[in-house]
Amino acid sequence: MITETLTGKLFSAMVSQGAVKLDGNRQAVNDLNVFPVPDGDTGDNMYMTLDAGVREAAADASLSEVAASLSHGMLLGARGNSGVILSRIFAGISEGLSGLDQADVKQFAAAMKSGVESAYHAVSNPVEGTILTVLREGVEGVPAEGVPDLEQWFAALMEAMRASLAHTPELLPVLKDAGVVDSGGAGLLCIVDGMHDALCGRISESRSAADPAGKPAVRLDDFGPDSVLEFGYCTEFLLRLQTAKVGPVDAFDASVIKDYLDGAGDSVVCFRDGSIVKAHVHTHTPGEILSHVQRWGEFLTVKIENMTLQHSEVTIQDHFSQAPQQADYVRHRLRYGIVAVASGAGVVQMFKDAGVEEVIAGGQTMNPSAQDFLEAFDRIDAETILVFPNNSNIILAARQAAELYRKARVVVLPSKSIGEGYVAAASLDRDCHDTDELVASVQETMDSVQTCLVSRAIRDTQQDGVTVHEGDYIGFVHGRILSADPDRNEAARLAAAQLDLAGHDVALVLWGQDTPSDQAQALVERLQADYPRTEIIPTDGAQPVYDYIIVLC
Amino acid sequence: MLTKFVDTDSDFNLEVAAEYGYKLVSMPYSIDGKTIYPYEDFTTFDPHSFYEMLRGGVVPTTSAISEEKYTAYFEPEFAAGNDILYIHFSRAMSMTFDTMDKAVAALLQKYPGRKFYEVDTKGITIVSYLMARELGDLLNKGMTAEEAVEWGKKEVDHYVQYFFADDLKFMRHSGRVSGLAATMGGLIGLRPVIHMSTEGKMESIGTVKGRTQVMERLVQYVEQTGLDIKKHRFIIGHTDAPALVEQLSQMLHQRFGEDLQIECVTTNPTAGSHCGPNGVGIAFYARNRWK
Repeated sequence: MITETLTGKLFSAMVSQGAVKLDGNRQAVNDLNVFPVPDGDTGDNMYMTLDAGVREAAADASLSEVAASLSHGMLLGARGNSGVILSRIFAGISEGLSGLDQADVKQFAAAMKSGVESAYHAVSNPVEGTILTVLREGVEGVPAEGVPDLEQWFAALMEAMRASLAHTPELLPVLKDAGVVDSGGAGLLCIVDGMHDALCGRISESRSAADPAGKPAVRLDDFGPDSVLEFGYCTEFLLRLQTAKVGPVDAFDASVIKDYLDGAGDSVVCFRDGSIVKAHVHTHTPGEILSHVQRWGEFLTVKIENMTLQHSEVTIQDHFSQAPQQADYVRHRLRYGIVAVASGAGVVQMFKDAGVEEVIAGGQTMNPSAQDFLEAFDRIDAETILVFPNNSNIILAARQAAELYRKARVVVLPSKSIGEGYVAAASLDRDCHDTDELVASVQETMDSVQTCLVSRAIRDTQQDGVTVHEGDYIGFVHGRILSADPDRNEAARLAAAQLDLAGHDVALVLWGQDTPSDQAQALVERLQADYPRTEIIPTDGAQPVYDYIIVLC
Repeated sequence: MLTKFVDTDSDFNLEVAAEYGYKLVSMPYSIDGKTIYPYEDFTTFDPHSFYEMLRGGVVPTTSAISEEKYTAYFEPEFAAGNDILYIHFSRAMSMTFDTMDKAVAALLQKYPGRKFYEVDTKGITIVSYLMARELGDLLNKGMTAEEAVEWGKKEVDHYVQYFFADDLKFMRHSGRVSGLAATMGGLIGLRPVIHMSTEGKMESIGTVKGRTQVMERLVQYVEQTGLDIKKHRFIIGHTDAPALVEQLSQMLHQRFGEDLQIECVTTNPTAGSHCGPNGVGIAFYARNRWK
């Protein structure tokens, strides 16, 4: 489809679809909200602001009328820093479209530039690496000439915005530290994405109520009698300028209000629309600010929220939970994701505690398929997926799955035992940027690990110089039998004696589902007494087959 | 008259504080939304119960105290015509001192002529404890508040602290240690060794595998940096790890002689919330802090 002219009706449909897209991603945008201070949820605030505009927008009128009504609705509905900036973007666009019944690509591009200027102008101290940057670089990234239709114009806008959004962590260290992109920029990209969808005929109607139904209630107890007001109050108001107080409203210079707020608080956004002044400020003393500004008008609405409570609310949420229908640019993509194969509740938990994202059930008696690996890969959103098969019989299936997988780079680290995989996973440097270097270091770690297994013999045998009777417990490493004894602890102790236990700093003793814990404790005490310099760490692995897994590292 | 304050983050309990005539500023921690002020909400700290709770999965939070609370500590002293000397844990570790500054500024305006002195130990727990004890001795011998402030500035870099944590979970949750490796640690006996920088911040200066090995590393730091350690107090602090303290004491006596006087201190619950159980540290007099 080729659209060379933007009408009021189309613009209304596009913004409405932008709201749909943002709605589908707002939790994901909320989850990015770690900057600059806890100020409510960016996704919710932007959505509610846009929703207020869409509800007020005239559906079938001239382009300038639609844009003006949309802007007015957003002005009244704007919430939070990001919501207020969003409303200023659309106010600027409306200004740029003023008087136009419809617009061609050039006229719309000019209106978008006006949106950029309006947004920057509304913020007292514009910070790069935020929604402002994503919008500006997006608009600047579209070629000034030669874009024939709106579809291509929006496609170019999105591409430039995506690049800008991805770059935000480079501009703001706080984003980089948190491993996220700017939430406001991500929210804006959602809206533009939705607008582009509508242009291309991809319309869906489902949209939720403006107030986020699933939003957890603020825990009032989090701010107790002795709490400290760490973050102040997020304070927003709409002030109707009063002739009785300021004289002719049109002649009143509202910059005095902004100047006052700049001196009285932080994160100030303040602008005027006709006789209404909309302001957002963070302050420890909202009462003083409200008393002061009342000299110029009367309040239409006031909202004051304790940001320390909001902060508590943010901290109790799972920051990295992912909403369905999530757009790729709002996801928190891991640099490395880890898949490991293990069995036994305690062993699985150990891997999870060591930061392994997906543990596939399996081991000696149950080898997972390539399909099992592929499904596990799909549950991880990472640039590189590292796989620890932890058994030589499983390595090939893992490699096969790695070859088939296309959505991320998959590297199989050929761990042949639980011990190799666990120690390597637990000591993995997730900050390492060079995957090849990381793989080499993992291999080195795995090579330094020895894993001794203790299990029950199912038949008589004579092997490696050890006589084994059916029912004996045998201790072995990589298929080489080291000990055999009717007592499992003795088999373990004798095997340990043949390993260089004293030469290792740490020995992890995992006892299996058939091993009584008091017996395991007795073994641990004995080993600790025999090898005082080696730290013996006991864990209930609850693994099948092996009475003990002893990992030397 | 001079009233001396020290805080509970410096591992002082009521008994030791009374020994020097120090008043306590209580630094709180919270569990399940309930804020607890050490030595105000209880008089005796039961470290084993507290750290057992942490072993069971509880991760307490800590918070700064309010301006009103500082005012409540300090105003009665100024009102009675006393000056104040506050020997406190590191300013660089908490925003609480911004609040304190506001309270003190308002009080000094209200009580002109009164004086507020402070000594920043640029540490927390045992190194602050060590400094406050040694300074307490000097004050008892007649050192003035002005001299104490000068002593603090001159001596602070000689008082060092090294410790290790057993479980990285608490350190990560705390977010107060720079340089922690990005590894998860898990159950492979990897422990970060942490010191207090000259700026008064906690920094990880390495990771050691193995319980005995990490304590050997602590002994090495004493060998490498210790200065006149027997002329000063030597402190071992721990978060409910008496067996490790015993082992470390033996290692230290073996290396430096039985005449090394070691004092064992239990880490206060507020700082312990950031370290977790089974941590051990040492504080002693040294040539300088690790650079």
